[in-house]
Amino acid sequence: MFLRLGERNIHLLKESTHIQQSRLASYCKTGIKPELIGVIEENLHHYRRLVFNIGVDTIETAYPITHSFLPSDVWNKLLHDFYAEHKCQTPQVWRMPLEFYEYCVEKNIQAQLNIPFLNDLLYFEWLELEIHTMDDIAYPQINIEGDILLNTIALNPEHKLIKLNYPVHIVAPTEMKDEAGDYFLLMYREKETGNIQFIDVSILYAYIIEQLQSGIRLQDILAEADSLFQINNFEQLKEHVLIFIDDLKKRNFILGFLN
Amino acid sequence: MKLISNKHIGIGFRKDFSEELLDSDTLKPAFIELAPENWIGMGGYWKKQLDKAAEKYPITCHGLSLSIGSPDELDFDFLNKIKKFIKQYNVQIYSEHLSYAKCDNAHLYDLLPIPFKKDAVKHIVARIKQVQEILEMPLAIENVSYYTPVAAEMDEATFISEIVNESGCNLLLDVNNVYVNSFNHNYSAKEFINKLPLNKVSYIHMAGHEQISDTVIIDTHGQAVIEKVYELFEYTTALIKPVPVLLERDFNIPELEELQTELTRMETIVSKTWRKEHSLA
Repeated sequence: MFLRLGERNIHLLKESTHIQQSRLASYCKTGIKPELIGVIEENLHHYRRLVFNIGVDTIETAYPITHSFLPSDVWNKLLHDFYAEHKCQTPQVWRMPLEFYEYCVEKNIQAQLNIPFLNDLLYFEWLELEIHTMDDIAYPQINIEGDILLNTIALNPEHKLIKLNYPVHIVAPTEMKDEAGDYFLLMYREKETGNIQFIDVSILYAYIIEQLQSGIRLQDILAEADSLFQINNFEQLKEHVLIFIDDLKKRNFILGFLN
Repeated sequence: MKLISNKHIGIGFRKDFSEELLDSDTLKPAFIELAPENWIGMGGYWKKQLDKAAEKYPITCHGLSLSIGSPDELDFDFLNKIKKFIKQYNVQIYSEHLSYAKCDNAHLYDLLPIPFKKDAVKHIVARIKQVQEILEMPLAIENVSYYTPVAAEMDEATFISEIVNESGCNLLLDVNNVYVNSFNHNYSAKEFINKLPLNKVSYIHMAGHEQISDTVIIDTHGQAVIEKVYELFEYTTALIKPVPVLLERDFNIPELEELQTELTRMETIVSKTWRKEHSLA
């Protein structure tokens, strides 16, 4: 009778074999030499070097700004600690830099290094990579013609609107002063080229984009925003927002109108 | 120079040269190989490039993270994603490394040597059967390069042969890895090949390497294939049935003309060897 194996865990290794494998793997992560049976001692370091270099290359490619900003000894220690302490979960190495960002947040590295904008900088760099590579999102059926105020506006679905505490998207880290605040950034992927576009937006415009994401008509958003932001001048608000909306159309973020 | 049609030799699909490969005919591989880990879940520009590549060439897949020799449980979620990818791109060959890349719940993204032990053979045989059952296709398992054995109780050729024979999987014979290991561990590459289950070879890899000392070669895939590896390749092809052959070039990518020269040389070798075999049949 043919026994189907299915998705059950198979573990036929002896404990002694598992221990040898664990020790070698642990050495690759930490660089601390283990006791291993029957190895060529002088060749062991190649494994540590090769494993560590893959991680370093991947992370440095994902975070070029942070890498060039941090002093090399600080950067190298951070990578060393990450590799030693963190257990990478993704089987896809190109997604691993996200885990590096999460590690830095969890360990509060920005406080340790006294760089209050480090989390934002890493997040910004990761998001560019993420939006560039993320799975395709289906574009909606759209009409080119429509009433900008009364019809539902169709947005490029491949976007993220994020809030930052520091303006890492417009100020180089070496120039960053005590500029903590609320900063909003729209990032989206152009359909034809796959390139990533960035737009720095005010809190008002971030609110409008967020409402448009929910499918609310611009006319209603403006009415709400007029009171929410205590502008109390609907016509003036409309005039400014329509210029912004027109800019988003020209930049291919607004695609048209939903059917 | 006599032009030959490339029927057997493929190239590893690298993002570094994907545009030039897809937009020109400088390089004429019979197929392309890619690591599914590097493409699953990817959209945008690279998805378009992948789809374009799939229209132009047959695709084989060579995995990196299955970690067949790991003490850890197989990642069934990811295996099912691989299965979906294989179906989507009509992949006829899926291969993986006879090594482990994950241990104690941590991915390492490189290939560590499995202890050549009987219990490891049993463990891997059962897992290969499980993978084949889930994927509903045979797995080709690759002999990897290694720089030290760990707790070995048998020789490498016996370890590979027992796994291939007992699991019923195919063998991806990496000729460069045989050469690298024979140099690093001081044995005869030809004798090693003779000991393998050559009737199970379904795929061949060729690559360059870097000798970093008098006693160590690192399997870098960053240089041209050397003469001695071509000699070993010719020796090997005379012993096996025709199979697809792949040139791996992952770093220091040269002009595509240079890669084409390597593909042509390999095709010349196999067309001579395998035509002769065919005419004898």
